[in-house]
Amino acid sequence: MSAAPLAPPASLLIALPKGRMADQALELMAAAGLPLPAGDPGRRLILSSANGALRYVLAKPADVPTYVEYGAADLGVCGLDTLRESRRQVYEPLLLPFGLCRLSLAAPADRPDTPLRYASQPRVATKYPNLTAEFFRARGVNAEIIALNGSVELGPLVGLADLIVDLVETGSTLVANGLVEVRVILQSQAVLIVNRAAYHLKAAAIQEVIHQLRGACTPHPEPSTSKHL
Amino acid sequence: MTHLPALNSTAGQIPRGVADYFWEEAFRRRALEQTLLRHFRRWGYSDVLPPTFEYADTIAARGNRALQSEMCRFLDRDGSMLALRVDMTIAVARLVGTRLHDWAMPQRFCYAGSVFRDVEPRAGQQREFRQAGVELIGSAAPEADAEVLALTASALRDLHLADFRIVVGQMQYFDGLLQALQLGPERRALLQQAIDRNSEAELASFMQGATFTRRQQRAVQELPALSGPDIPHILARAERLCLNTTMHAAVLNLRAICAVLAAYGVLDHVSLDLTEIHNLGYYTGITFEALAPGVGYRLASGGRYDNLVGSFGPPQPAVGVAFGLERLLLALPQRATHTPGPLAPDILVATHNDPRCFALIEYARGLGLHVAVAFGPHSDGALWTVAQRQGIACALEWHDEEAWLYEKSATSQPFARTVNDPAALRQRLLTLAHTKHGDMPDAGQQGGSL
Repeated sequence: MSAAPLAPPASLLIALPKGRMADQALELMAAAGLPLPAGDPGRRLILSSANGALRYVLAKPADVPTYVEYGAADLGVCGLDTLRESRRQVYEPLLLPFGLCRLSLAAPADRPDTPLRYASQPRVATKYPNLTAEFFRARGVNAEIIALNGSVELGPLVGLADLIVDLVETGSTLVANGLVEVRVILQSQAVLIVNRAAYHLKAAAIQEVIHQLRGACTPHPEPSTSKHL
Repeated sequence: MTHLPALNSTAGQIPRGVADYFWEEAFRRRALEQTLLRHFRRWGYSDVLPPTFEYADTIAARGNRALQSEMCRFLDRDGSMLALRVDMTIAVARLVGTRLHDWAMPQRFCYAGSVFRDVEPRAGQQREFRQAGVELIGSAAPEADAEVLALTASALRDLHLADFRIVVGQMQYFDGLLQALQLGPERRALLQQAIDRNSEAELASFMQGATFTRRQQRAVQELPALSGPDIPHILARAERLCLNTTMHAAVLNLRAICAVLAAYGVLDHVSLDLTEIHNLGYYTGITFEALAPGVGYRLASGGRYDNLVGSFGPPQPAVGVAFGLERLLLALPQRATHTPGPLAPDILVATHNDPRCFALIEYARGLGLHVAVAFGPHSDGALWTVAQRQGIACALEWHDEEAWLYEKSATSQPFARTVNDPAALRQRLLTLAHTKHGDMPDAGQQGGSL
């Protein structure tokens, strides 16, 4: 680390998405030697590491990019799917080795195997209205996007939608509901995001976190050139 | 008054992305605007008041696609397309290019006012927002860039934003890199996106599909590292990575500017970022943004635009900065325990319609005190109750033969004094004015009072 003529490194606030991804993120941070939240979380929403250098906030996954764009949190961990859907403007320096899944378009197994563009106005149920709309717009198809908050696979079963766009990990949920994956829209995994202002205002502390996480992600850290700062 | 039934659903509402500002908050905005304008004038800048709308083409031809899509357009009576201004820079460039091109250069302009962008309201940006800024036209010297940067730094310092940083990039460096790599439009967009997102993974996947020389590879791969507060180190490294004269010129330009900034004594606040490639469509040299803790997005931004004036008339190099007033207000230290309300005057006066009292009021207003007149008869002491309810620290009750002055003492205990000596009253008002201006010099104009 080069000595930066900055104010003493302020404490960094990291937003983690509630649920499995938070556990995986904490595991990785432990492996990277970063200070973890101390003590029993209880009902507190902001947790501090023992030395106070890092503070953690657990947020709804879809809110993590919002916290980070506004600078309420300096750093965050979320899925690429959530980040792209949110259209938030943040830096995303590092992909993290967990949360691997894909955002896919799925159709009832008995759907005739014709190109998507033959459908004049397909109805598509999804939790990802922005990404879905973008995907169809890029193909010149005026899809009717039906935004749902969960159980998207239900859409075709009850006649709400012709197609769905949803996250697929193993594909078993799709199969169980008589659906097949038609297209992959986005390969997703966890990503470290950084507020654009904090990236410069707390450059040294943030570069340190990125550097340590990078080391924990790759089993044999190369003699990295971009380690600078 | 009867309440009129709503004729349609928008009666009484305001459109998305605009706001009413009132009371103290309106005052804070105005005061900040005045503080900045006064600051700019101290640096030798002269006021300009561009029109609120222009021909849409005037703006559209100069902005990038994003800016074009954000214009608020409407039709003139003759059918020509008009648009609300999206910034002040284009209007000032038009003014100089078409009308003031034969005036001595450089020309310095400062402005403050609303600009309009039809965006989804988001972090610190509504559809109408207020900017204050400067344009320095007619000099390509690094001293001109440094002047605008130093002016930005000193404005932020005057506003008591201690820990701000100004992050400076140079468009030419990335432009030169793109030239050297000779990318097709699709690959170019990929690289821009990877750099803009600062994404190692996207940069790596961009590199995978490339057939670059080793020098080119290094220039791309090490670009993300050319960012931070260690200026000499970054410039030296950037220089080693140069692939052509365009990139080299960018580094030399930054080095020259930083030398002047060091002389100004503001270099401590400056970081470099050669990955900063945001562009309104007309920037050609340095671009920069000002950041401060507690606000996640830029408070001010600017850059050099050497081709903009020339699109209206004889070419002139130029550089400028615009502060976002809404964002700046978010960053400024708030007076914490303040309940919203109108700006309280300093004195409330019941005049009894006595000419001597009006003369006294005029005297007080001349001292810079804010004096409000209370109407109607007040029974003894009632005026003081009214004043206190409105947060007014002083009340004057005038009677035929005597005047009662109520004041909050230092211990917050109100007390009444009978004063029938006009000279003593004036003396008291003078003390009040001194106290006010001593604490918060010239509250109506000074940013320090914010």
